[in-house]
Amino acid sequence: MRRLPILLTGLVLFCAPVMAQTAPGPGDVAVAAPSQQYCVTVMSGFPNDDHVARYQFFRLSQEMAVGATPQFRAALAQYGDAEVNEQTPILDVIEAIANPVLRQAAPEMVIGFMEHLIDFEDRCGAFLEGQINSLKAYDGDLVWEDPLITEDALFLRQVLSESLDRAGAADNPAHAFATQDYAANLIQTRDNMEFQVFTTEIDDLEAIYMTDLDGRLARSNDLINKEMDREGLDDALTLAKDMDKSFKEQEDKRRLYTLWRILGR
Amino acid sequence: MGHVKTAFLLSAALLVTGCATSAKGISQSAVMKSAMAEPLRQDVPPGTAMAVLRYPAHVEDDAKQAYYDAYSKRAIGGRLSKDSGDASEIQALADGMIMKSNYYALSVYKEMAAKMPEHSVLLSPHTVKLGADGKLTSVPMTQAESLPTVVTVDFSSYSFPDAKKMMGKAPLTFGDLVTPLVTVHSDHRASAPTKGLKLASAPLLPYAAGNGRRDVDTSLSALQSGTFETPSAPLDFVAFLNADSTASVASQSFGKMSANTVTSFPLEKIQLDKKDIAKLSAKDGGVTDPLKNAFSAGFANQVIGIINRTDINKATMVSRASAISQYDPSLAALTIVGSQDADYQARYRYAERLLEAEQKYLSVQSLRMFDGVHNGEIGAQTRDMLKAEYEHLEKRRELARQQNINTTMAVLGVLATGAMIANGGVGQDCSRSRTQREYYECQRRNQAANKVITDVAIAGIAYTGSKAFSLNKQSKMMGTNYMSSVAPILEQQQTVTVNLIDSNETITAIRFEDLRAKLQTLYSEKQRSLDTVATRCGYTHDGAVKSGTWLGVCENGLANGAGVGVLRNDDGSAVEYYGYAVNGQPQGAGYMITHTAAGSTALEGNFTAGRADGTMRETSAGQSARVVSYSAGAQTGRAPVGSPVATPFGNTPLSVPGAGN
Repeated sequence: MRRLPILLTGLVLFCAPVMAQTAPGPGDVAVAAPSQQYCVTVMSGFPNDDHVARYQFFRLSQEMAVGATPQFRAALAQYGDAEVNEQTPILDVIEAIANPVLRQAAPEMVIGFMEHLIDFEDRCGAFLEGQINSLKAYDGDLVWEDPLITEDALFLRQVLSESLDRAGAADNPAHAFATQDYAANLIQTRDNMEFQVFTTEIDDLEAIYMTDLDGRLARSNDLINKEMDREGLDDALTLAKDMDKSFKEQEDKRRLYTLWRILGR
Repeated sequence: MGHVKTAFLLSAALLVTGCATSAKGISQSAVMKSAMAEPLRQDVPPGTAMAVLRYPAHVEDDAKQAYYDAYSKRAIGGRLSKDSGDASEIQALADGMIMKSNYYALSVYKEMAAKMPEHSVLLSPHTVKLGADGKLTSVPMTQAESLPTVVTVDFSSYSFPDAKKMMGKAPLTFGDLVTPLVTVHSDHRASAPTKGLKLASAPLLPYAAGNGRRDVDTSLSALQSGTFETPSAPLDFVAFLNADSTASVASQSFGKMSANTVTSFPLEKIQLDKKDIAKLSAKDGGVTDPLKNAFSAGFANQVIGIINRTDINKATMVSRASAISQYDPSLAALTIVGSQDADYQARYRYAERLLEAEQKYLSVQSLRMFDGVHNGEIGAQTRDMLKAEYEHLEKRRELARQQNINTTMAVLGVLATGAMIANGGVGQDCSRSRTQREYYECQRRNQAANKVITDVAIAGIAYTGSKAFSLNKQSKMMGTNYMSSVAPILEQQQTVTVNLIDSNETITAIRFEDLRAKLQTLYSEKQRSLDTVATRCGYTHDGAVKSGTWLGVCENGLANGAGVGVLRNDDGSAVEYYGYAVNGQPQGAGYMITHTAAGSTALEGNFTAGRADGTMRETSAGQSARVVSYSAGAQTGRAPVGSPVATPFGNTPLSVPGAGN
């Protein structure tokens, strides 16, 4: 019985690509069949002993390809130089990109590795999406990994941008615009992420402070409203009525006296 | 002789009692009958309120005598006579006005809030106090007016300061009668020719315009001293009480739609629905809002119409800069025209989010104040009081009806007696007497009988006239008695209401201070550095006058880039400029407002070396904005149809070219 989750995981992971292909939504374009072998081969190099790690790497691959326009990929093709193929384990590829020594010494290699990942995402996007959706369906908590994955991907994309710069792409009129545009997008993405964090922190502050404020104000209102003496109004109205009555009686007397004077003249 | 006395008594009765009126009002305000309700079509950036509702909530002890004096001296709808009641009665009416303004303002708030987005309507109760010059002034009790706001609405419910005239035509807020006094302002940048004034109750209009002019002056002085922050203007009603200096603006009667003109709202005495009044003292009386269908709902629609026709960016740009300057002074001036630079955009977003947090906080405060006053014991007592006032008024109306019947009877009695006397009176027909003796006997008996009848008739007429007179006196005395007896209740009501508002503000301020410190820390930690910062330097306008101040991008001590320029000339005129400048002078797209003794005008378009140059949008009093051509500061005629007008506000979040009037 305790093995059930593991078996389910295996089943889901095994079936996921098939599910992704056999259940197209309305208007979906058929998955590119010629890439299938390539995609399955590359994906077999992803971690497969832990569904969280597998999700992280799928999502990381997806995120690292953000902003890679055809023009930018042309720059990668020109400046990239790495010995990498579909058999290379994904972990090795990513570790190589993150390696500070390699970044400094051989930016072309970093570019080459990133080009490999971006190419993989471009060709196998549908497979990746299918795997990610299946894993999310299996474990809804995986979405909590997303902010960290986005952060890591942004770091690796910045490494790529710097590597291209170091390799001289920014000085090449053919690629300058694409690489500068990519770098500007990275800044904007970084801004957006930081703003998102800022907003989340303010949201948290607001939730704490506003609930607290609302409670305090409500209690204070109740307390102060108790100071109100509503019976005082009744007394005031009775007093007004008494004064009116007394005045009316005086007026009636005065009027009778007037009548008596007229009749008695 | 007896006939003369009768006629005298009757004339006196008629003169004194007259034909008694029974304190009637119109069943619906003109705002309910005017143009159809329009949905809100404008949007505001985060941290900006659509409307702030200001009302007199409290009079400080030191200012009470001055307030009472001004209240009786500056009566609306008539003059006080010598027998206008003693001081305590006038004070009770003056206190009643504050109490009812507190209560009815909530109806207007509720209706506006229901028609506008969440958190976009705020309450700003004011304390009436003595200023440094010993004159009355008013200050907001909360921070609501520190946020950027499209329009500020002043509301109060008025009563003529003589309880004896309650049954006449004088304006009154008592029982089922309400006389609202309102004004609506936006910032003068959005409506330069009227100094921001959009609508005002007729008696307040010149004073509201005067307040608008002082606002302009204060704002220019603040800009000249390098800050966007200006204190809130006192309530227009307080300016009226003070008999502050007035200003003349182009105005139009309610229902007209001329551009750049203030709408004069008639003084109305509205009679609320009796069924609604009857429900007020029920346990769920708070659910009943008698003012809603008589005034508030329609007035909220009017405010929405005004917001729809207001250029929101121009109306809020300076107050937004002021609010942002609390967190980031070097960013504040740059927000006037905005920028597409990534560093600016990133930083502006942060600042805007901070203002949004402030807005939500202040909105919770407003909602709780509404809840505390309207739904608490204070509101319940106010409703009890309105119900009691209504019953009191109904009794007086009944007395007035009796008085009218008695007056009519007296008149008819005089006519009947006169006719009887003219016809020889009543009695036997003496012409049938057979002897002279019988004839004289018959005549003597008739005369004796007629004297008794006439005396009784005269006495009856005099009595009826006297009764009418007495009913009138009774009615007046009822008003006096009522006002005197409820005076301590009004005092208590006001004290508790102020305690509640004060407590709400204190709690909010303490927590707000704490929150703001945390927001400030967060902001400092997270914000990106700015490549270009705003500072203060010289603005020369046309190159000749060197005394101007520029808040914005500076270079070599002079305006160079985006910002705000302001200067005053020796002749008293002043210029405000929002846009781009080079070497201290307007250069490029800009928005310039010129204030002279003749009035204020605005020009938007391209400037070259400080002068309007090209196609400009010209806004002046009483007419729609015109698109005209300028060359070197001189107008050269109408611009070809469809000519584009340069605007400096293209980078702001809510730039609506052509909006506003």
